[in-house]
Amino acid sequence: MSITYLFRSIRTEFSKVCNIQYVQSLHTGCPLLAAEKELLLKLRKSTGYTFVNCKKALETFDNDIIQAETWLHEQAQKEGWSKASKLEGRRAKEGLIGLFVGGRAAVMVEVNCETDFVARNEKFQQLVKDVAFATMAHHHVKTDGRTGYMKSLLAAEDLSKLNLGDGASLADQMALAIGRLGENMSVRRAVTVGVPAGWFIGSYIHGGVAGQSDVAMGRYGALVVFQGGKDGAQGILGRKLGQHIVGEAPVSLGNMDDIPCGDAETRLLPQSFLPDPSRTVAQYLTEQGARVLDFVRFQCGEAISGCA
Amino acid sequence: MYCHKVRPIKTCRTPIETIFICMSCHATFRMLALQLSSPGLLHTSYKVCAVPFTRRNFAAEAKVKKTYARDKPHVNIGTIGHVDHGKTTLTAAITKVLAEAGGANYKKYEDIDNAPEEKARGITINASHVEYATANRHYAHTDCPGHADYVKNMITGTAQLDGCILVVAATDGQMPQTREHLLLARQIGVENVVVFVNKADAVEDKEMLELVELEIRELLTEFGYDGENTPVVIGSALCALENRQPELGANAVLKLLQVVDEYVPLPKRELDKPFLLPIEGVYSIPGRGTVVTGTLERGVIKKGDDCEFVGHSRAFKSVVTGIEMFHQSLDRAEAGDNLGALVRGLKREDIRRGMVMSKPGSIQPHQKVQAQVYILSKEEGGRHKPFVSNFMPVMFSLTWDMACMVTLPQDKEMVMPGEDTSLTLTLRQPMVLEKGQRFTLRDGNKTIGTGLVTEILTATEDDGCNWG
Ligand SMILES: Nc1nc2c(ncn2[C@@H]2O[C@H](COP(=O)(O)OP(=O)(O)OP(=O)(O)O)[C@@H](O)[C@H]2O)c(=O)[nH]1
Ligand SMILES: [Mg+2]
Repeated sequence: MSITYLFRSIRTEFSKVCNIQYVQSLHTGCPLLAAEKELLLKLRKSTGYTFVNCKKALETFDNDIIQAETWLHEQAQKEGWSKASKLEGRRAKEGLIGLFVGGRAAVMVEVNCETDFVARNEKFQQLVKDVAFATMAHHHVKTDGRTGYMKSLLAAEDLSKLNLGDGASLADQMALAIGRLGENMSVRRAVTVGVPAGWFIGSYIHGGVAGQSDVAMGRYGALVVFQGGKDGAQGILGRKLGQHIVGEAPVSLGNMDDIPCGDAETRLLPQSFLPDPSRTVAQYLTEQGARVLDFVRFQCGEAISGCA
Repeated sequence: MYCHKVRPIKTCRTPIETIFICMSCHATFRMLALQLSSPGLLHTSYKVCAVPFTRRNFAAEAKVKKTYARDKPHVNIGTIGHVDHGKTTLTAAITKVLAEAGGANYKKYEDIDNAPEEKARGITINASHVEYATANRHYAHTDCPGHADYVKNMITGTAQLDGCILVVAATDGQMPQTREHLLLARQIGVENVVVFVNKADAVEDKEMLELVELEIRELLTEFGYDGENTPVVIGSALCALENRQPELGANAVLKLLQVVDEYVPLPKRELDKPFLLPIEGVYSIPGRGTVVTGTLERGVIKKGDDCEFVGHSRAFKSVVTGIEMFHQSLDRAEAGDNLGALVRGLKREDIRRGMVMSKPGSIQPHQKVQAQVYILSKEEGGRHKPFVSNFMPVMFSLTWDMACMVTLPQDKEMVMPGEDTSLTLTLRQPMVLEKGQRFTLRDGNKTIGTGLVTEILTATEDDGCNWG
């Protein structure tokens, strides 16, 4: 390694303290010099890659931190893939539902990881956001120029082929996240809906993480497609319906004139309305002058039973 | 054979056994209730012949008790850390190293298993529990895979952790989610964290270990722990398990245990706290006075102690003039004992089940508290629907139960079964409640949740009015 380079970097990068340490370790002849240590710490802090890899990168590029960083990013992609294949098959049942509504389209996705610790991590949440946006972009491309109600469910295989804005595939992005967070992860499913003019999309996320992003995230999510409602109050109506769907977990829509069959009712319309159990959902909708056309409910980690 | 005029004062741990007290000589007896299985028993007195338990019997019983009493102070400890950083290997290594000193049964990695499911109070928690003892202490060691499991553990009280070992692999360093681990430790009230830097055998350059240590200290400080003085032990759990490189293996594990022994303070023993007797029953014994029964929750009661009765909107003081336990009059009783206490100058009607007898001034009734609660999932026998604010379950704690009203935190609109949440609970009437007290919530005949009081709140006028 070049001594001049070392001294330059000490001057430019580090305080006097480091300088002294550097001299000391020169005398003791330790394998890792103080300046190298600082570089290593710095590289680790800026990239978050493991100690072992940061050290290797610095060694390979003669302590050139810029080259080392570039190499690390390339390596991370490769390693992420190998780690991803190594961790494949480990149970990933925790995670988050991500939900994004933009105008007359909405997307809801489920991304899984192994522990709820990771679900709380912002790197994971960034991944959920990436997945939601990629799915939304895909929806716009597919439905461009078409009008009418559109709904599509995407399974894991369809999703991994999607591309992110910068050209990388979602699968690449997943591998990278797996490499970084060290847990198995998977994009499990997604649903997109697009509605014609005059229709509305209501949404609700439960068990949310305090998100700073425009994608709402939590353990449960619901999208509900409806018509009508009082002007200006559709936002609240959609939210209440979404909350009901998350809480009461209906499995089908039912009809407006269905007779409720008690507590075990699984059709949405005859269920008693969660925010006001004195009436049914159908009665509430009639009062509001609204009509529900469709809904989707995701619960993180739930067994998927033949979802249509 | 003596002839005693006895009346029952208490049903024992096994429902068919009842404690009887002799109204003339004041001796107590334990008998099978089957012998006298009349429901009116509690309200009438009987003249029966019974053999009081002899001193020898009592001594034998005391001896049995003693074997349960641990000769070493007990500490609950947990491991947290990234998946794959070696928590299970370390746990196995600890038992192995201690087994050689007779302080544990060696548990193989496979036996500890990947956090098997267990049921504590009907609640499913993924946790593995391992026990071991050092020269000074007895430890119960908990390892859970997730945040939710640690929180459930805290709430149900199966293991209130006194300290935590944070396991970090030297090869990786802290991982992004290590932040969440420390946040969790804070949340569940763990004040003492000790670090084990594992997999030191897999790092060629020993100086890198220092960097790992440096970084973790920084992180600890960031999370409000004393990063500078937190003990950090570097080693390899795998080496300890495989009898290799003893300086990284067995010796490091021993060093870790020594550090835990020294750094994690002993929890305050129940015996050292002011006494608290939740009252289960009240009986009046003609010629003697009023006897209250129950299991002493904490502390030590001695004959002649001043005491105070609190609860059910009443409070008054008295003196303990006698203590009976297992058919014997005693001078003192301690936490865990099932006893009857004779109190001076009170009538049976003054006292009710659900009140407590305590050291005067040590405990107060409260009406409004903040609590951390786990709501049982449908599978665990809980509700299958969410609830919202103003839900009114019944709260059970100590020996009392009282209707209460639930208020959700601001950022929540409903609580789903299977979730843990913070809740504000307002009781219909003030009852004895203090920080750290555990309770269950029931709705109809269903247990729907279990919780832990985290804060006492001041009830406002409104809280009283809401009940009409
Ligand atoms: N080289 C080396 N490998 C180790 C050491 N300790 C554990 N390992 C290995 O690391 C892997 C993970 O160890 P575990 O003990 O299962 O890790 P864990 O933290 O319990 O993992 P989870 O239970 O999945 O969270 C295993 O393959 C161990 O053999 C060590 O000191 N040195
Ligand atoms: Mg494990």
